[in-house]
Amino acid sequence: MTPLSEQVDAPNLVRRGLLAGFVCAYTASLIPWALAQEAADADQGAFLALSAILAGRQSLDAAQAARLYAALVAEDPGFPASAKALLDTIEQRKIDPMQLQKILDTEKSPLSALPRRIVTAWYMGIVGDGAKARCLAFETALNAEAVADVLKPPTYAYGAYGSWTRKPV
Amino acid sequence: MADTLSADFVVVGSGIIGSLAARKLALAGASVIILEAGPRVTRAELVARFRNSTRRSDWMSPYPPAPWAPHPVYQPESNNYLMQAGPYPYAAEYIRQVGGTTWHWAAHAWRNVPNDFRIKSLYDVGVDWPMTYADLEPFYQEAEEIMGVSGADNTGSPRTKPFPMEPVAEPHAMRRLRERLAPDYEVVTNTTARNSRSYDGRPACCGNNSCQPICPIDAQYHGGLSADAAQAAGAKLIANANVYKLEHDEKGNITAALYYDPDKVSHRVTGKTFIVAANGIESPRLLLLSTSGKFPNGLANSSDMVGRNLMDHPSTSLTFDADEEVWLGRGPQSPSSINFMRDGPFRSEHSPYRLDFTNISRVDGATRSLIAAGVYGSELVKRLRYSAAHEMNVKNVLEVLPDPERRITLSSEKDAMGIPKPEAHYSIDDYTRKGHERSQQDFRRIAELMGGTNLRFSKEGEFANNQHICGTLSMGDNPKASVCDQWGRTYDHENLFLAGTAVLPTSSTCNSTENGLAVALRSAAHILEQQGASTGVTGEAKS
Repeated sequence: MTPLSEQVDAPNLVRRGLLAGFVCAYTASLIPWALAQEAADADQGAFLALSAILAGRQSLDAAQAARLYAALVAEDPGFPASAKALLDTIEQRKIDPMQLQKILDTEKSPLSALPRRIVTAWYMGIVGDGAKARCLAFETALNAEAVADVLKPPTYAYGAYGSWTRKPV
Repeated sequence: MADTLSADFVVVGSGIIGSLAARKLALAGASVIILEAGPRVTRAELVARFRNSTRRSDWMSPYPPAPWAPHPVYQPESNNYLMQAGPYPYAAEYIRQVGGTTWHWAAHAWRNVPNDFRIKSLYDVGVDWPMTYADLEPFYQEAEEIMGVSGADNTGSPRTKPFPMEPVAEPHAMRRLRERLAPDYEVVTNTTARNSRSYDGRPACCGNNSCQPICPIDAQYHGGLSADAAQAAGAKLIANANVYKLEHDEKGNITAALYYDPDKVSHRVTGKTFIVAANGIESPRLLLLSTSGKFPNGLANSSDMVGRNLMDHPSTSLTFDADEEVWLGRGPQSPSSINFMRDGPFRSEHSPYRLDFTNISRVDGATRSLIAAGVYGSELVKRLRYSAAHEMNVKNVLEVLPDPERRITLSSEKDAMGIPKPEAHYSIDDYTRKGHERSQQDFRRIAELMGGTNLRFSKEGEFANNQHICGTLSMGDNPKASVCDQWGRTYDHENLFLAGTAVLPTSSTCNSTENGLAVALRSAAHILEQQGASTGVTGEAKS
């Protein structure tokens, strides 16, 4: 996984800003790497910050972030504004990620579907629903990475014949 | 297009059973044409489709139906190909493509236990088979040697020759089940068409854990290999040939198979002997479609039994969290089970069953559950790892008895080719329900022995289907109560044979493929013997 900060030859580097510019102290405390990570623009910066909070990750792959973001925007042109609104909500009200869905559901927030969309994109590699769903990632989806020390994604060889007889951890 | 295709044998369906019957006939020197409704698809394409799937838990997602040869799919929404007449939905899945449905299976290759052949005599339920375990035993062995079956001897099915391969190495999770359940239950390694060593040019399993939907390395046998073998033996396989009617002469002998190509141009294939092996739904459908003035109710149907006695294996299940880390997903998907309830006097009262342990990775399922529950942030990773490490699942595999009211008929609706769709009439009766109820005590005890918490029983009244479609062209001794004799020959048409799981008179408690294949190999040996031909294959079973 390559952090954005290492993508020195990225063509749009000049437009990038430090993610720290997009988040306040509370959300920065949820994503301590925010000072270092770069984003292409403010909209994508909000998406990255929100992704890091919801995914509970200290770093996110830049190329994958760009692909997921593009797919989420293609699915819903209002996504950038919604993501910014949700990030603002979390910041202003200092909402813990574990309480977020409950609060949005209770308040019947128009943003209530957003966290699941973002987390499904990162953890399942899937954007969209039903027949319109798209697969953007499989072996690099975060649910595969979260267990990569023990399991291989299905269709990838676990190891030589019989290697699975050993105690896993 | 002037079609003059003709052969000694015309086989409808290129699945594992149709193809291996065709292979046997071709090896004996006969000319054979196999007609397959669906397209050719390669293993590499299937692996890529799975990896790019948006529904990785839907084993059908790499197998979208061809418009000219549809099969039922239910996600993202039902294509309404298999119509449902109720009262209980029969959500059957099968694959119309070269090689058929065993492209995706758990490769369970169980034999019946001997008493499965005599449940009417012994327990006064169901019917007896028109053959005994001993009659079928050499053909079980033949099927196992072709497929490359590995297994253990302690499963209740006696053998005259050893398994081709020793059991597949036991995943650590299954070892822990076996050790911790030992006071109460014997956990055995499953009998599977999966390589525990290199076999017939295919490698040993390397634990890809995707047996269903697709084994990426052919360590698991499948019908695509059967179709290849049939062609290597000289059979001609025509893909995208959707047979919609069989024709007959004035004596009732079958003369031709008519098929549509994808452009709905009709073609005619003639032959001396016809074998319908198109699966438990498509085979009866074809016979019912083939009406004529002489046979207004379709072919082979003087008994009105075509399509009746539809059976499968319903399952209920328990998911729980073990008190130790087992990490399902290492090794093959379905490695171990408990067999003690497959037979006994209780069969007079309720369904027998096997108890099956899954070894399918819990990662995708746990992720979906956690996202649905709104678990985000660092807690998401923590809980995902916990579930992936601790979650276990056991299900029952319940016998369904033959009942003429459970059946496949023709729908008034038509598919994209203008052919009437199949319609399922299905139910779960008290016999099966009582088997489910009996198994609940096993579920609880298993969870208890594993230190299980967070017990999640499948919803009461809901039965998952195992896609072991059988019974709809039952063989028997009585022409009034069955469709064909013990050799698969239809009573009404001397040169029309039936092969596939549809001919099985009862469903027993084991996956239907090995039973259907052994019966078909026995039929093929009989046909060759009747026609004075040698089977031409050293070491393969003769009738």
